[in-house]
Amino acid sequence: MNVSRRDLFRLGAAGSGALVLSMTLPGCASRQGREPSHEGGWAPNAWLELDPEGNVIFTLARVEMGQGTYTGITTLVAEELDIPPERIEVRFAPVGSDYTNPQYQLQVTGGSTSLRTSWQPIRAGAARVRHVLVKAAAAVWQVKSEQITTRDGAAHHPDGNQRLPYGDLVSLASRQSLPDEVELKHEDDFRYIGRHNRRLDARAKVTGEAVFGIDVEREGLVYAVVSRPPMQGAWFESVEDAEARKMPGVIDVFTIDRGVAVVAETYWQARKAQEKLDIRWDETDAVTKDHQAVFTQYRRAADDSSGDTERSEGDAMGRLEATDDRFEAEYEAPFLAHATMEPQNATAEVTDIGMQVWAPTQGPDMARIAAARVSRFSPDEITVHTTFLGGGFGRRLTQEYVEEVAAIADRVERPVKLIWSREEDIRHDMYRPAMLHRFRAALDGSRIQAWDHQITGPLIFDWFARNAAAAQYPWAPKFLYNTLASMGRMTEDTFLTPKDHSAIEGAVEYPYDVPDIMVRHTHADAGIPVSYWRSVGHSHNGFAVETFMDELAHQAGEDPVAFRLKHLADMPRHRRVLELAAEKADWSGPLPEGRARGVALHRSFGTYVAQVVEASIENQRIRVHRVVCATDCGQMVNPDVVRMQMEGGIIFGLTAALYGWIDWEDGRLQQSNFHDYTLMRQDETPEIDVILVDSDEGPQGVGEPGTPPAIPALGNALFALTGDRQRRTPFSAGTANA
Amino acid sequence: MSRSLRVNGTDHEIHSDGETPLLWVLRDELGLKGSKFGCGIGQCGACTVHIDGRAMRSCITPVQEVSAPVTTIEGLATEAGLHPVQEAWIDHNVPQCGYCQSGQVMSAVALLEEEPNPDDERIRRFMSGNLCRCGTYPRIHAAIRAVADGGDA
Repeated sequence: MNVSRRDLFRLGAAGSGALVLSMTLPGCASRQGREPSHEGGWAPNAWLELDPEGNVIFTLARVEMGQGTYTGITTLVAEELDIPPERIEVRFAPVGSDYTNPQYQLQVTGGSTSLRTSWQPIRAGAARVRHVLVKAAAAVWQVKSEQITTRDGAAHHPDGNQRLPYGDLVSLASRQSLPDEVELKHEDDFRYIGRHNRRLDARAKVTGEAVFGIDVEREGLVYAVVSRPPMQGAWFESVEDAEARKMPGVIDVFTIDRGVAVVAETYWQARKAQEKLDIRWDETDAVTKDHQAVFTQYRRAADDSSGDTERSEGDAMGRLEATDDRFEAEYEAPFLAHATMEPQNATAEVTDIGMQVWAPTQGPDMARIAAARVSRFSPDEITVHTTFLGGGFGRRLTQEYVEEVAAIADRVERPVKLIWSREEDIRHDMYRPAMLHRFRAALDGSRIQAWDHQITGPLIFDWFARNAAAAQYPWAPKFLYNTLASMGRMTEDTFLTPKDHSAIEGAVEYPYDVPDIMVRHTHADAGIPVSYWRSVGHSHNGFAVETFMDELAHQAGEDPVAFRLKHLADMPRHRRVLELAAEKADWSGPLPEGRARGVALHRSFGTYVAQVVEASIENQRIRVHRVVCATDCGQMVNPDVVRMQMEGGIIFGLTAALYGWIDWEDGRLQQSNFHDYTLMRQDETPEIDVILVDSDEGPQGVGEPGTPPAIPALGNALFALTGDRQRRTPFSAGTANA
Repeated sequence: MSRSLRVNGTDHEIHSDGETPLLWVLRDELGLKGSKFGCGIGQCGACTVHIDGRAMRSCITPVQEVSAPVTTIEGLATEAGLHPVQEAWIDHNVPQCGYCQSGQVMSAVALLEEEPNPDDERIRRFMSGNLCRCGTYPRIHAAIRAVADGGDA
């Protein structure tokens, strides 16, 4: 495969809430020459640095939050450089245009894009470096480059005896110019891609050595906590802080835009002092809607406006009006919290040249804007260091914790670490939006003739634009940040700002062969902050579409697998995973008494996933016994990492299906910690079998696609078990839920 | 007033207030950051350490109540190498984000010391106090199973 650095880099799939869908590969990332981080080092491009001691340092631009970028993208480097992945030292990237995610024009890790957007540029970057190392060896040995082979971090002489480690070639190679064109390895020659299966970060994570944001240490570090408004839309009015100031270790108490900050010598002292604050909040404009009121608003909106047409084929509306044999159903998906195991936190320090920020963030460039917004510093005076992330799932795409810590550090002038409590983390999340789904369909025998899907709820971009818009224009003056955000919102779905797919993704791609299809979105926003949550729109659209498909199969008197296959004549990759999952799960085979199976099929982030869930109800509790998952994600770099992501994605989906629930009473969020925002535990975990399809297609996303089908597959199993249709999550083990 | 605390075989003079949870003393006074803060109410197990060999939630244990020796994730490996549970965790690719894994490993070690060959049900129950949002549970189970069956915990 030949890759030119001027090649257009295109992506196979539309992104989730993508800001920009496709663009040229950032040319400067492969430009020769960059300041090495240490003496004698050679930094041929933005990603790689080699030195005479034989060290190979790789700068990883996509953060590691569990999904495996640390291993996966390093494996790409290892392959083209012919060096074992374990020999490469990985560093997390600073903010820089070379590290922008080409799918979003932001330095974002999300949308299951990391591996697929790195697949070509990272390999090409490493291959260019290998090319000049070989040229250097050829010059030393006075042989032709083509006669030299590379492996284990060394060039090998054609005589089979002599070898030159890369370190010995650095000085000579650094004087060569990198080639414009470079040949990438043929897959038959892969040593590591498709084979390397050991996580490179595992050791650091079982010894406690991995540094997460919460672990950052600075000389003279002090700690901050923030009291925030108890209701969305409430504002700070006044504070009585005399008692708090008298508490041991307290350094200062002051207000910032987002609340009242307490700074103390230790975290625990800051917490104890925070309890002594007496704060009055102005609740005049506070949001007081609960789940039910939000859905009342959505239903009214859905009644009043048929919404924007997102996909239209044939004449679904006409056919549905004309038939008496119309089948309808309505689904609800609630707000959900992310609940990363590492609560939100960040550290900041003012120095004589600006501000340094350490943050476990999925968007360091947006973190820089967030810090600039609230401090005296401009983005070019702010350095953002990313750490390992204790879970992401989309939570760390927005930067509230960075805004808070930067405002605090700007004032206290000592290095300060802000830590959110679990209660604050649940109550001040940016939630997975609650969504309402209405379906109408017409059947002709066992074939669907017309399909109408109306989705009602907010757009995530309206909330995300706050720091994202300015991050694309880091030279813009701060007084324009809010204007840029407003412009971003107003120009959504124009040439200026790409379309926000967050509400409709997973619904517009409806894969089944139906003559008349209508998919529409009715915008309704309850004023509750929302954001990206693992699999985003697919999380609710997958649930609704695949449950309604099951309803139609039942209505038609058809087997759910056979019914889907009948509507997938021209969709071979969908068929393949569905057939594989059904076969491996023994779909039509006998089951123990009291158990039933359900199936779901959903493509997201380019990856096809079918799941069969086996469940029962014991003592009024839903039990999931087994999940069989067939996945086609194209070419795989680390197959066991794919497997891990499917397992984790399934458990994430089942957690939402069984427990996920966020609700308010008088505007106050009722959930607070893991006793009332329940996550699946070890003793509830089903047996999970993952089947990976061999594929020559390009690599696709794996961090998110395991989640969407798990929810409807379980709901469909419960229907098979009880005859009660599960039309809202979390599912009910009782008798009447429909 | 200071008090004495034995952690990973070393005695320390502790200056934090006696009501301070052990977790914050370990992390912020002694600089042992391997034990993690997850919930603060003993619900998630990210802060699990051994006190006198038993798995305890350090986020709800006031330091003044700790009189026995404490072992944290940093004290698990010996000069001979990693603990067999840590090795099994690496072999089974258990960690994803890794944030909960110090606590998971400490719980697993405590289980296997108490009961070197637990059955599957016992593993499931014992490990249910440790949450993992990434969903590494199947691999945690498999890794413990492997150590138990290998009989070298």
